[in-house]
Amino acid sequence: MTERANHKVILLVEDNPDDEALAIRALKRHHIGNEIVVAHDGVEALDYLFCTGMYVDRDIVNKPSVVLLDLKLPRIDGLEVLRRVREDPRTKFLPVVVLTTSSEEGDLLNSYSLGCNSYICKPVDFVQFSEAIRQLGMYWLLMNEPPPV
Amino acid sequence: MSPELFAQLGDLCRDPAAFDRLKQILADEIHPLEWQIIQANFQLERQKALFGVISRLRNPLDLETIFQATATEIRQLMGADRVGMFRFYPDAHWNDGEFVSEDVDAAFDSAIATKIHDHCFGDQFAVHYQKGRVQAVADIHNAGLSDCHIKVLSQFQVRANLAVPLLQGEHLWGLLCIHQCRTTRQWQDTEIEFVNQIASHLGVALQHAELLAKLQTEIIDRQQAEQRAQELNQGLQQAVIELRAVNKELETFSYSVSHDLRAPLRSIDGFSQALIEDCVEQLDETGNDYLRRIRMATQKMGQLIDDLLTLSRVIRSDMQREPVDLSRLASQTCKDLQQADPARQVELIIASGIVDRGDSRLLQVVLENLLNNAWKFTAKKPQAKIEFGMMPSEPNMPPTYFVRDDGVGFDMAYTSKLFSPFQRLHSVSEFPGNGIGLATVQRIVHRHGGQVWTEGSIDRGATFYFTLTTEELIK
Repeated sequence: MTERANHKVILLVEDNPDDEALAIRALKRHHIGNEIVVAHDGVEALDYLFCTGMYVDRDIVNKPSVVLLDLKLPRIDGLEVLRRVREDPRTKFLPVVVLTTSSEEGDLLNSYSLGCNSYICKPVDFVQFSEAIRQLGMYWLLMNEPPPV
Repeated sequence: MSPELFAQLGDLCRDPAAFDRLKQILADEIHPLEWQIIQANFQLERQKALFGVISRLRNPLDLETIFQATATEIRQLMGADRVGMFRFYPDAHWNDGEFVSEDVDAAFDSAIATKIHDHCFGDQFAVHYQKGRVQAVADIHNAGLSDCHIKVLSQFQVRANLAVPLLQGEHLWGLLCIHQCRTTRQWQDTEIEFVNQIASHLGVALQHAELLAKLQTEIIDRQQAEQRAQELNQGLQQAVIELRAVNKELETFSYSVSHDLRAPLRSIDGFSQALIEDCVEQLDETGNDYLRRIRMATQKMGQLIDDLLTLSRVIRSDMQREPVDLSRLASQTCKDLQQADPARQVELIIASGIVDRGDSRLLQVVLENLLNNAWKFTAKKPQAKIEFGMMPSEPNMPPTYFVRDDGVGFDMAYTSKLFSPFQRLHSVSEFPGNGIGLATVQRIVHRHGGQVWTEGSIDRGATFYFTLTTEELIK
């Protein structure tokens, strides 16, 4: 990992502790050593992104490199998080990857309509899941040129 | 000639004999003229009455009103004591009936609604009346009438009777009866003719009434049919609403399945893999084998969930009907299969230009499933053959398509099981799969209104046939 990528944060929005552990494990095993912030529901995710609630002291200028967003979340769901992120001029270009179990056409359609950058359906097979996480990390942290601040 | 006129003439003619003679001559001359004048007046009145009847027929009046007005008019004109319309009861063979309309002199009883039974009428007279016979009786006691007939007439104080048929088309509906009750009466030919004319016009009214009744029945029938259709429609709409609700629930259900059932599987698989990776030293070969089995099972279940979701999506998704190039879909699927397994030697014969109407996405699922099966069940043949084509067309039958292979085939005894979910005819170790593919194929074909069936035998391949239209639609 290069210096540039390393101090970039990945925001993982995931309510399932197993999926959280497996995603972090996959990132670690592929030597993606970036800081991973986990939000356990939509409210926490929005608090982090807009520096409110428990993240009130955070500087909004420091945006995560990528948000890995589950759709089915307690309190505020993933699609609502995505809608608010895209509505706000400060976050409207933020790379958001939907990472979900659902392959329902409705979810795909809604996610893309609201402007997600990518949609990944979590495979049951952990090897495939791990590979998907690796590629995601590589692409969004290394290859992708982030939007200007 | 008036007595005053005769007195004046007597003054002019002094010879009484000559005068008598003269009187006689004049009387002979004048009498017919006077008679003619009476006749002409009567004729005029009759014409007026007829005109009245005809005018009433033109107006949309009910039969009762027409009868009543006509009876009154005839009675006045003819100086009769009673004019009545007698109606035979339907299916009573002209033995029973009653007066349904009447105009009667206040001095005599009303005949209305009295049930009249004349058992000798039906047999003896109905046929003649039907042919237009008229009964003109000047004195009922001196006309050779049967006792029962006389009894019936006397009941209403009738002394002279004129009865003419009321015909509805060719059917004897009833009688128009003119009764004289005070005295006997010699019926004049002109009177009979007049009553006959009136009766024939009333016949027109009867026919109109019959048509009207039919029309009204038809209108009521139609209204009832409409009502029934409306009720059916409402039931249907209710069913549609309920179906929508069920569909919605199913959608929510499969969404949960899709999301919640897969998540724990991923945990099982993920942590098993983590164990394999991290604790390989602590586990012996058996332990590692167990972990591999756990992973295999979870992945299989993952596939099962995916296939079930496809099946449920097939059942509830909206269907489009558009021309679909089945040959192209089949070619593409075969190309994918060949690419995924380039070592296989398979001769692919795909008929070109097969196009039918249907949902392209669903039909793709059909061909994928059938061709995947063909590919799978020919895996053990060094040189296999897979065909997609159309059967020679038959009149009034929908086009029949087929996917044929020369693989392991199956025992025809089990064909009924083939299309049920989770039913398999081969062990998983022999040929992988979960038995949902053909169930999905069948659902899609049924949703198109078609049929799917199969032929095969062990080690001699299998052919799957399907149609996409109902036979009824073709016919």
